[in-house]
Order: sequence, then structure tokens, then C-alpha cells
Amino acid sequence: CSEYQKVLKSEDIALKFKVGDSLFQAGKYEKANRLFAQIVPKYKGKPQAEKLMYLYSKSYYETKDYYVSGYQFERFAASYPKSEKREEASFLSAKSYYMLSPVYSKDQKETKDAIEKLQEFINLYPNSQYVAEANTLIKELDFKLEKKAFEIAKQYDLISDYKASIKSFDNFIFEFPGSSLREDALFYRLDAAYKLAVNSIEIKRTAEGIVRLKKNRLEQAKEYFNTLKKAYPNSEYMARAQEMVLEINEELETYSAKS
Amino acid sequence: QEVDFESGETYVIGGVSVSGNTSFNEQTVVAYSGLKKGNEIKIPGEDIANAIKKLWSSKLFSDIEVYLKNIEGNKAFLEIQLSDLPQLVDVKITGVKKGKIEGIINDNKLKKGVKVTENLITTTKNFIEKKYKKNGFYNTKVNINTIEIKDSIDNARVNMVVAVDKGEKVKIKDIIFKGDSALKEKVLRKAMKSTKKINRLRILKRSKFIDSAYQADLASVIDKYAENGYRDARIISDSISVNDDKTISIHIELEEGDLYKFGDISFIGNTVYTDEQLDRYIRIKKGDTYNGVMLQKRIQDNTKPDGDDIANLYQNNGYLFSSINPVEVSAKDNVIDLEIRISEGKPAYFNNVSVVGNDKTNDHVIYRELRTRPGQLYSKADVVRTVRELGQLGFFDAQEIAPDFKNPNPNEGTIDMEFSVKETGSSQIELQGGYGGGGFIGTLGLSFNNFSIRNLFNKEAYQPIPMGDGQKLALRLQASRFFQTYSFSFSEPWLGGKRPVQFSASISHTKQFLFDRFTGNADRSRSFNITGITLGLAKRLTVPDNYFTLSQALSYQVYDLNNYNTGLFTFGDGSSKNLSYTIGLTRNNTRIDPIYPTGGSNFSITAKLSPPWSLFDGKDYEALAEDREEQERLLSLDPTDVDAANRRSEIDQERFNWLEFYKVNFKADWYTEITKDLVLRPSVEFGFLGAYNNDRGVIPFERFFVGGDGLGNFALDGRQVVQLRGYPNQSLSTQDGGSIYNKFSLELRYPITLKASAKIYALGFLEGGNSYNSFRDFNPFNVKRSAGLGVRIFMPAFGLLGIDFGHGFDPIPGGTVKNGWETHFIIGQQF
Repeated sequence: CSEYQKVLKSEDIALKFKVGDSLFQAGKYEKANRLFAQIVPKYKGKPQAEKLMYLYSKSYYETKDYYVSGYQFERFAASYPKSEKREEASFLSAKSYYMLSPVYSKDQKETKDAIEKLQEFINLYPNSQYVAEANTLIKELDFKLEKKAFEIAKQYDLISDYKASIKSFDNFIFEFPGSSLREDALFYRLDAAYKLAVNSIEIKRTAEGIVRLKKNRLEQAKEYFNTLKKAYPNSEYMARAQEMVLEINEELETYSAKS
Repeated sequence: QEVDFESGETYVIGGVSVSGNTSFNEQTVVAYSGLKKGNEIKIPGEDIANAIKKLWSSKLFSDIEVYLKNIEGNKAFLEIQLSDLPQLVDVKITGVKKGKIEGIINDNKLKKGVKVTENLITTTKNFIEKKYKKNGFYNTKVNINTIEIKDSIDNARVNMVVAVDKGEKVKIKDIIFKGDSALKEKVLRKAMKSTKKINRLRILKRSKFIDSAYQADLASVIDKYAENGYRDARIISDSISVNDDKTISIHIELEEGDLYKFGDISFIGNTVYTDEQLDRYIRIKKGDTYNGVMLQKRIQDNTKPDGDDIANLYQNNGYLFSSINPVEVSAKDNVIDLEIRISEGKPAYFNNVSVVGNDKTNDHVIYRELRTRPGQLYSKADVVRTVRELGQLGFFDAQEIAPDFKNPNPNEGTIDMEFSVKETGSSQIELQGGYGGGGFIGTLGLSFNNFSIRNLFNKEAYQPIPMGDGQKLALRLQASRFFQTYSFSFSEPWLGGKRPVQFSASISHTKQFLFDRFTGNADRSRSFNITGITLGLAKRLTVPDNYFTLSQALSYQVYDLNNYNTGLFTFGDGSSKNLSYTIGLTRNNTRIDPIYPTGGSNFSITAKLSPPWSLFDGKDYEALAEDREEQERLLSLDPTDVDAANRRSEIDQERFNWLEFYKVNFKADWYTEITKDLVLRPSVEFGFLGAYNNDRGVIPFERFFVGGDGLGNFALDGRQVVQLRGYPNQSLSTQDGGSIYNKFSLELRYPITLKASAKIYALGFLEGGNSYNSFRDFNPFNVKRSAGLGVRIFMPAFGLLGIDFGHGFDPIPGGTVKNGWETHFIIGQQF
């Protein structure tokens, strides 16, 4: 029976706290966590609880149990508003949520939560040493949301639902004006509009009368090209875009020739 | 002393004391309140209010107050006064059955140590009264007393005594109507769905009196009149009299009023649809008996979300913001003229369409299945279909997929759509060992229904296996002393990600050793191997409608015999190759839950064809057939004729070197919801195996074996096993199998639970089917009939399990008496 096992079975809560603390300092977070978990209820309301709760929360963080550490740090910050560790705890709580954020192609509930928590932290401690890191994390999380919306819009293009793709890119460009994927979005919107136009039927009868479907779509695609060119004249996509607009212009000329 | 706090000034806490009737440690209370000695606080200020709030939220105290005791310089001394809530020690419940006591305690959380508040007492009392009233004990009275315990312990503690007086269950002897003449009393009583007279034969719905249900039933009596044109009908009075035998009688006096008829119906506000188009939905002629209920159903049927009504006509064509209001404009001479006022609104287009809750499945797997896409015109039918199809993916709990409309904007004509899904376990593991076929059989089966093959070498994706790309991967190993089978299959529903073209591949290998009767061992030198590979593509079609799938598959199998002489084949050494092309057309619009469909149908027709080898291999099969007949004749004269037997196997080896056949299968089943959740499933099946060249004959492979549980057990010859319960497995076909079969069945299903963790349903069935050796024997009505009952349990980790008890009404071939009862264990889904 090791020393640790003895302490684990012991009734002496002060001893457990002491051993847990030294295990924590030695980097044995899992073992420390087990000891802390045993004594947390018993220290409830006592002055030492502040330190204990901080170590307890941190031991969850260090063992990568971010669901619990996020919650425990949040509770710590709420329970000890005057604590000197409150700033760090608030940050680590937010960072725990950041750690839980999944790959962009899955549900982003945790991502949105994390952004909110990190923003709350920055608002609360605008001069904190952690603000720089918090900003980096937010940027990373924001990019996930951008990437998600972008990839969904791009998939509509891939599965040939060009209308859905154009609409989704419209929404993307509107929603993420400063995105690093903006150039790509402008190009793929053109790509979808171009494919929609060249594969279009000529005219469509609607309640309002006859609509020159193809011509309208070609013009729309051209407009998207102009937007891309204006925003990114040296775009890496320019060669491909030029090819498209050449064909669009050719097709459009047949209309002007007719009329 | 109390101080009148006017202005908030800052003090330092000099000390906090606790007074009042509490058993808690002073230090604990102070620490919990957050008022720490030495901290700065404002008085009056938030800190004290927060301290009181915190103490309240502990639910341990009553009467919490914080006083300012005195001030010394800038130091404030505070006092917290509070008293403990009494704790519950024991509960005694009288007047109910013993078995119910625990339920009442648990439902109301009357555990030892809870704090007894007024609220707890009131809610407990209401809960019990309501519970018994709901079951017909209309006179239930509940009385709750608390008794303080006085002893040496300081804690305030109480015992609780709950006295329940259920009274008599109220039964209804008679329901007497007065003033009715147009409708029969029987019809009126039937309209009362919950309030019923005593009738010993009615087991499911016993007579009882529940006030709320009774009020609803009175309303349905009036509705019944309204449906028959008496829209003025009203209940003048209703009374309840108590009979001598403690039953009650209900007296209902009503006034029927006049019979009304429909007059002119006009539409106002419709620009998208003409009056004639809308009339087709209303289907009411001038002079018809007035029926408000029917009118409402034709305008907007609230009981049927996919009903054929005017509201859905608009809803399915983009008019989300439309509303339809029938208004009576005249009721002269009991003829009602109606104006149906339609506000069409702008057509709505989807703006953002999103999915939430997919913790495992990647976006691209889900978004490609959506039928509601950004920029598209709103259609309710598309929303319903999306929910259905997401459910059928099998990755999400079909019962919990919810479409949420967000940010409706009638001015812009846009709507956001959010589908919320809940992932379910979609992997199954099968690990079993058991005795069968003369020895121990071990099976290891793994099937992953939402696999991600691109993450196969990505260490981080193993949680515990790479998932989320919607691919299926299955691996199965089975081994005993006599045989081994290995199989592997993979499928990707959207090959390349561009189009819904499903690609599938499977490889299998089976090795069977000859069983040596004398030693009881497997003879490893004599074996029969089957190796096969199948590649398939299935494409969703858009014509005739987009429920169709066209599938094609190419498969190649080698049957290889090494000195393996059994009754199965006439040759012991040699091989047989099966190259075939399968083409199938299926249409599946069953909904919503793939495990328990409640509507729609499923058709499939497939043809499996081999190349017509005999056309170009230059062999004279007519001569071979004659030769074989001659050898058969010789053998029937002298079964020990070795030369004839050898010659026969030579001929058979030639006939079956490359298998030549065509096979056609047809299956259809329908699902209809009869009443809520009760589903009727009729189905028909038919299969035919034929030969291009009659001299070459029908092959001994690929045949039909009818009877039993329908599970494809270990079989050597690519046989197709057909379920027909009530008979032993494969008993309705000859030993070599039939070349034609048909089956009809009728199944009635009722769910016991449809929770995600386990879906259970009971079923009853009637079925009949048979197999025939050739088209000459075929008679679709000469079937073996059976009936029975069963139950199915589906758990995500185990798949479908079930047990059926079937009774066969006909004798099995060769028998003379009916087969009687059979028990079948079902593993896996049956189609």
C-alpha cells in the first residue's frame, strides 16, 4: 500500500490538502484531483476553500477535463469575487470553453460559447496580461465560424445547387465583412453564378410575364466578376475569373446583336 | 439597532456576527455570505443585498436579515440574523396502498433532510389530489400536518403526516340526454370519448368520472351537432345525481337549434390561385348540410400537418406568411353565406439554413441531404421531407429532429431555418461464441455506420473510431473447426461528393472443410472455398419522382472444390465461376423513423444476370444434356456405376464452369398508420430464377429457400433465404431450393416505446408463401399460411433483435398434419 493510497483512505482532511497540494506542485494533477475531490465538500465555507477550489479547478484543467474545469473556474470566479486568482480563473474558464470547440464542420455551440466567454473576460479585465492571448483565441474561433459558413456555401456549388451557393456566399460576405476568406468567397460566388448562367434555359414564364432568365443570370455573373476585380485586382483566381468573364461577354454579345 | 441607510458610504468590514436560531457554524455562514472581514463595502449597497441573496439561494434559512451593529470610524460591524428551516425527518402516508407510498415520496422529493417550506406542503397536497382525481377518485382530500420534534438536538426538525382520503371511485351508471331528437343518444354517448357508462365488456376504457375530461366531452357533443348542421346546439344544463349504489348519473339537457345549410362561398384576397382552384379544395356545394368542422379541415386541418387543405396549398408554395379566415357574412333563413378571406402575404424565401447538434457528423454529410436551401422558396412539404430524410440517414434520433423557424421577416419575405438534431450511436459490435454446426463458432462483427475513411490514419479522430463522414464500414469474421468466413464491406453514399451516387464494395472469403464422420474432425485436405467481390453503384433519380434509386452491381464469385464430395454437387474437384450484373430499381418513401416507419411504401425490382456464355462458348449443350440423361439412366439402374458417375460429374463441371442464369426479384411493402402509431404493413414478394439455355438447365446456386426466420445462415451456394414464419427454417423448399417463390404478408405493429435508447414494438402477422421448382408448378395461391405474434427491440448498439411465435396452418412438404407453432429468433432488420 503506497503512501498515496494511505492518504487517500485517511480521515485527516488537512493532510489530504497538504499532500494534494504537493502532488499538484509536482505536476501529478490526476492524483491531486482525486484527493481534492474528497475534501471539497468538507472545506465548504472555510477560509482555505478559496485556495482549494482554485487548485481543484486547475487540476481539472491540467488533466484536460475541460467541461468540468470551465464550470469550476466559472464558479470560483463567482464565489470569490475578491480573490487575487479571479482574473486567471476567469481566463482559464473561458479558455476551457475554447478547448472544447470542435472542428469547424461540426456543431459550433462550444465555439460560440467560448467566443462569448473570452469576450466577457476581455470586457472585465481590459488590461489583463491574458488579453493578448484571449484575442488570438477569439480570432481562431471566429475563423472557424467563417470557415464553416464558407465550406457549406462551397459545397452547394459542388453539388450543383448554384442558387443556394450564391445565396449562401451573399450571406457569408454580408456576415463576415473582414474575413480572410472573403476573396475566395467572392470568387466562388462568381463561379456558381457563372455555372448557373451558362447552363440556364433562355426564358421562363412567370406570373409577371416572360423573364429572360439566361440574360439576367449572365449579367448577374458579370457583376460578381466586377466586384471581385474591384476588391482583389491581383487575386490568385483572376486568371480563371477572366476566362469565365470572356465567355460571359461572348454570350451577352449575342443578345445585343439580336436587339 | 437599525440605521436608516440614506447615502451609500464606504466602510471596511470590522467583523460579522451571526445570531438567530441556527445550527450552522458562524464561520460557515459568514464565509458563505461573502462578507469578509477587512473587505470594503458600501452601505447601503449591493454587497449586502448579494449576501442576502446568496444565503436565500442555499434554501437552508428563513427570515434572513443583515443589521449594521455599530460603526467605529470607517469600520462597520455587521450582524446576520437568520433561522434554519425545519428539516424533514420522517414521512407517514395514510390512506393509500403500500405500493404507492414510495412513488408519492419520490415524486414529491420528500426525502429525509429536505427543508420543509410552505411551498413543499402545498405542492405535495396538490400533486396527490390531482393524481387521484385523474384516476376517477373525484372526492380525494389530502391533509398534511407537520409535527415538530422536540429533543436535545438544536436543529429544527419535523415529521410529516400525509393523510389521503381517496373516497370512492366514481362510476357512471347512466348518461341521460334531454332535448335531443336529431341525433341518436348512442351517437352522442359515443362522442363522449372519456366519460362512459359502466359496461363490463369494455375493458380498455373503464367508466370513471374526471371533471376536465367530462367538460371536454360536453364540448365534443356540441361538436357532433355542429358536424351535422346544428351549429346553434348548446347545452342548457347538466347535472350529476348520486345513486344509491354510489354510482352517479349524468343528466344533460340540450337545445338542438335549427339545421343550417351552406350558402354561397366566396374567396377574397386570392391572387395566386383562382376561385376555381380553391373551390376544388373546399368541395362544398350550396345547399349541403352545414358542417363547420369539415369546413375548417378543408381550410386548415390542424389534426393533419400534411393535409390536403388550402392552408397547405399556400404553405407548400412559399406563402409562409399567409393566413386564411372564413367569415360568415349572412345566416338568413338558416343558410350560411361564407367569405373566405385570404391574406397571402409575400412569398417567403429561405435565408440562412443551418443544422445544430451534430457533434459527430460533419456538415457536408447533412447539408447535402437538406431539401430546404438558402434562396429557395419556402415549402412546408420540403421541410417535412427534410426531417424524414435526415431521420433515415440513421445517424440521428429520428424522433428528435426538429425544424425551427427563425427570424421570420414578412416584410422582406425571408425566413431562417434551423434543424436541430441529436446524434445516436450508429455503430454496432457483435462478438459472440457458441456451439453450432458440430463445434464452437466464434463471431466477431463490427459495423460502423457513420465512418470516416479519410481519417483512418488521423490519430486525433479516434474517439474511439473515426466518424462523421457518413460512410459505412463493416467487418465480419466467423470461424469454427469446419469453416472460416471473412467479409469486409464499405460504402460511400456520395461518391466524389458531387452527386448522390452510392459506391459500395465488398469482399468475402469462405473456407469450408469436409467433416469427417469417423473421427469427428475437420479434414483439412478436403475443402470448399468461395471467394467473391462485388462492386456497386446506386444513383438517386429525379424522374419519375425523386424517391427512386437505380442501382447496379457487378459481382464475381469463385466456388472452388478440392476433393470435396458431398451430396451437394456431383463433382468433388473443380470450380464454378459466377460473374453477374445486377440492376435494380427501388422507390422508398417510408417515413419517418427507419426502424418504425409509419407511412409511405417501399418497392424494389431487381434483375441479376450472367452473360449468356452458351451463346458464344461453342459447346453443344443439347448433346451434353442428352448424354447426362443417359448417365442418369445408367445410374438409376446401377447406383454403383463408377464410369457413369464420373461422366456425369464431368458433364456437370462443364455445365457449371461459368454459371449462366437470370434472376428476377420483386418486393413491395406499404406502411399505413391506422390510428395513432398503430401501423399496418402489407407486403408482397416474388422471385424467379431461370436459364437462357434450357439444355444447360437451371443452376444449383442462387436458389430460393422459403420458411422460418429468414436469416441468411452459413450457406455455400449464394442461396436467397426467404422469411416465412410458422414453419421450420427453409422447410418449404426442396433440398436443392426452389427456382420460383412468392409471398404475401400482412403485419400489424404497435410501438411500446420509441425512445432513442431502445425502440420496442409488438407485432401480429398473417402470411403465406411457397416456393416452386419450376414455372409449371407455379401457383401463386397455393401458399403455406401462418399467423402469429412477436416483438422487436432495437437498441443502437445491438441492432434489431426479436422473437416471433408463428403458427403454420399447412403441413410442410411431405407432411400431412398442419405444422403448428414455431418460435423464431430474429437478428437484424428483415426486408
